[in-house]
Amino acid sequence: MEKYGIGQPVRRKEDVRFITGTGTYIDDVAPEKLTHAFVLRSPFAHAKILSIDTSEAEAMPGVLGIITGKDWMAEGFTPIPTKSGVAKKIDGSPLNQPERHCFAIDRARYVGEPVAVVVAETLNQAQDAAELIEVDYEELPSVTDARRALEDGAPRIWDDIEGNFCLDFELGDKEATDKAFAEADHVVSLDLVNNRVTAVPIEPRGAVAEYDAASDSYKLQNATQNVHANRATFADVLKVPADAIHHVAPDVGGGFGAKNSGYPEPPILLYAAKQFGRPVKWINDRNEGFQSDTHGRAQFSKVELALDKEGKFLGLRTRTIGDIGAYCWTVGPFTPTGGSARTQGGAYLIPAMYYSAVATFTNTMPTDPYRGAGRPEASYQIERIVQHAAETLGFDQVELRRKNLMPADSLPRKTPMGLDVDSGDFPEVFERTLKMTDRAGFEERVSESREKGLRRGFSIAPYLECTGGAPKEFAGIAFEKDGTVTLRVGSQSTGMGHETSKPQILAHTLGIDFNKVQFVQADTKATPIGGGHGGSRNLEVGGNAVLKAANAVVDKAKVLAAHLLNSNTDDMEFADGTFTDVKTKQTVSMDDVIAASFEKGRLPDGMEPGSLDTDSTFEREVISCPNGCHAAEVEVDPETGAVRVEHYWVIDDFGPIINPMLADGQVMGGVAQGLGQALMEQIVYDDEDGQLVTGSLMDYALPRADSMPRMELGYYEDAPTAKNPLGVKGAGEAGCCGAPPAIVNAVLEALREDGVTHIDMPLTPEKVWRAIVDAKR
Amino acid sequence: MSVISLTVNGNPVTVDVEARSLLSRVLRDQLSLTGTHVGCDTSQCGACVVHVDGKPVKSCTMLAVQAAGTDVTTIEGLARDGKLHPMQEAFRENHGLQCGFCTPGMIMSAVALAEHNPDLDEAAVRKGLEGNLCRCTGYQNIVHAVLDGAKAMRG
Repeated sequence: MEKYGIGQPVRRKEDVRFITGTGTYIDDVAPEKLTHAFVLRSPFAHAKILSIDTSEAEAMPGVLGIITGKDWMAEGFTPIPTKSGVAKKIDGSPLNQPERHCFAIDRARYVGEPVAVVVAETLNQAQDAAELIEVDYEELPSVTDARRALEDGAPRIWDDIEGNFCLDFELGDKEATDKAFAEADHVVSLDLVNNRVTAVPIEPRGAVAEYDAASDSYKLQNATQNVHANRATFADVLKVPADAIHHVAPDVGGGFGAKNSGYPEPPILLYAAKQFGRPVKWINDRNEGFQSDTHGRAQFSKVELALDKEGKFLGLRTRTIGDIGAYCWTVGPFTPTGGSARTQGGAYLIPAMYYSAVATFTNTMPTDPYRGAGRPEASYQIERIVQHAAETLGFDQVELRRKNLMPADSLPRKTPMGLDVDSGDFPEVFERTLKMTDRAGFEERVSESREKGLRRGFSIAPYLECTGGAPKEFAGIAFEKDGTVTLRVGSQSTGMGHETSKPQILAHTLGIDFNKVQFVQADTKATPIGGGHGGSRNLEVGGNAVLKAANAVVDKAKVLAAHLLNSNTDDMEFADGTFTDVKTKQTVSMDDVIAASFEKGRLPDGMEPGSLDTDSTFEREVISCPNGCHAAEVEVDPETGAVRVEHYWVIDDFGPIINPMLADGQVMGGVAQGLGQALMEQIVYDDEDGQLVTGSLMDYALPRADSMPRMELGYYEDAPTAKNPLGVKGAGEAGCCGAPPAIVNAVLEALREDGVTHIDMPLTPEKVWRAIVDAKR
Repeated sequence: MSVISLTVNGNPVTVDVEARSLLSRVLRDQLSLTGTHVGCDTSQCGACVVHVDGKPVKSCTMLAVQAAGTDVTTIEGLARDGKLHPMQEAFRENHGLQCGFCTPGMIMSAVALAEHNPDLDEAAVRKGLEGNLCRCTGYQNIVHAVLDGAKAMRG
């Protein structure tokens, strides 16, 4: 059991499929009589749709039919509402929410918005026909920069919404913060752009819809992160009961938030499957993905920090403009408001904080959660302003941070943002990270770089995180006569290894063979509820659901064990898969108890065969606070502006680690996405005509193997949270919180001698080179 | 339509293809070898890498008709006699994959890299994988896997 127990680097069950090419991803799903859909998307950022002529396209070979916005509205289908956790303005009135239908109806508001869908026998036929659809557009002025969208006279995206304004938001004590600033010895301020990026899971989005006329029901197989919530959304749109749709996710090739949303294509597919009486498949290609996968970040912030003369932080004030794109997407308005507010101030003890934000419409693909959704922005804000304070006021960056970290004895503590930080040891994690970085050898490495004509910089970035996602989760355990156990959960892996980590928890708790556990997820028929994936919730909510269900099995099995040993239940102890009568010392194994549970003659009165099967729901009461510290050492070539991250170190406090191999994977993947945002990734829309400039992987850079440093990782496991039974805090998004500030601050430290004080992400060679040249002038 | 004959994973096949069909689509749609994945349309991601006459090729960048008469190996053809290829084993052992979507192309590139470079080191692996994107792992465990797999291949 030890080999597969909690804390062991158990190798993954799912890998057997993935390394042999026998996984089943959405594009591998091919029911009989399959047809193919192609989505015709708006080529304009903002345009009236005067007419759509599909007659020529409909006559093309293989075409079953074409659906437009007009057809859609004629069916009376409803818009997709936002589920933003912040839905009211400061004055208490509801946010301005335009209707988001699955098609652009009489006006397209971003490049890539669906205008028509062609269904044909083959994809080639659908694409060929789509080229013959004549859409008469009247182009309108567009605005893709959120700051400009708020200005007087900016193009108006919604006729009934003035000033492209969605909502405003505030959190914290404004008065106390203003007072802290008024009384401070030093105030530093910085304008920051958190670049618009997108998740780019290597598997594009896609779905296959089927309709069964006999039962008037649908099956939707979908590369999604969240089958239950999205089923509810799609059912509402189509005005059918939720249980009329069987929603399943096959193996999903990465998500990172971008497969979480309620997208327009799946409901269109469901409708098409019914309309044409055939299964319909749609797969985005990558270019379509850049236009129509949700984007993330896209925030413009002014950050101010007040300090006393010793460098103690007194107050933090942040004002953000959040670009939510053309619509309120699934939870879009939440990210720049509540999502970015909670972890303001990061790992530091700051007595007064105030956060305010406005969410703004632009003619762009809407933003929705991307790995971290607000916490990376907050982390970047605090760590950039702290670095800026150190540099401009003459403090040592390490000392300034050390002086202001939340002391261990200040916990539990509610921050001025209302976040309940119950556990952790920020100074200890900081010092452990620092120790890994070989500070003593730094000056020598700087000299070596200098000899090559290069600059070298270092920075360290403690971070504070919080979890999110649906608070409830289901786990069901069912035993079979052959000794196998089926574990059904409503949480979902899109690559994180739940097929391994969840059975690990079950096998460990029951003391049974890990290899006998079968795993089922992402299927609305398999579990009554499910929160899918998001907000680093897998172990915190899903893992605890498995633990709760497993403990309930132990309790039931204890009764049977006592019966089998002629003992009292109260005398039974359970450990390592064995029940022991504390008085007689007689034992019976869990395996034997499970076997006996199928034999009527061996059961006590009132117990039926199969009664060990257990369904259970766990509900998180309070979100937990993962935290940790990142550090980076970089080399910059001042002649070319090229940045190389030479060393990278991380210590994370995720609570107890269930599987260190999987935890490492989460951290390293998160760091890679954080490095991508810091150095190369950026969605660009043309200022003039609103075209998407970064429409392919030729234009949007992703980190490659050669972009990444070797990372050294460690865990601080001495402070489990009391907020959940496993004591875990969530691991998935932390890498994206620590990496951007650690890397950007290290680059800026390297360029101090050049007089460069700030560069907005991504720090591409061109931007770095220009900053050096400009600073010389 | 053109009828082409080629060898796929050791088996002779004859298939009727459209002139515009890419090798990746024919492998997936007509030969049901869905282990070859398509993650982009600009030859950037490398999820579709297969071996054509022993060389790694992005199968989304080659017309199927160009593969006539060649010997193609896909991820499904890597394991022999029910035994995983050492590179496959190394990816699992080193946690060199998460969602698994880039993995077939990554493994096919890695096998070719190891076959053509007897003295692989970390830098050479990182450079050698420039044609393959992974969004999950941060590459570190992929690099470990390739080095381990290459060592095992040398025996």
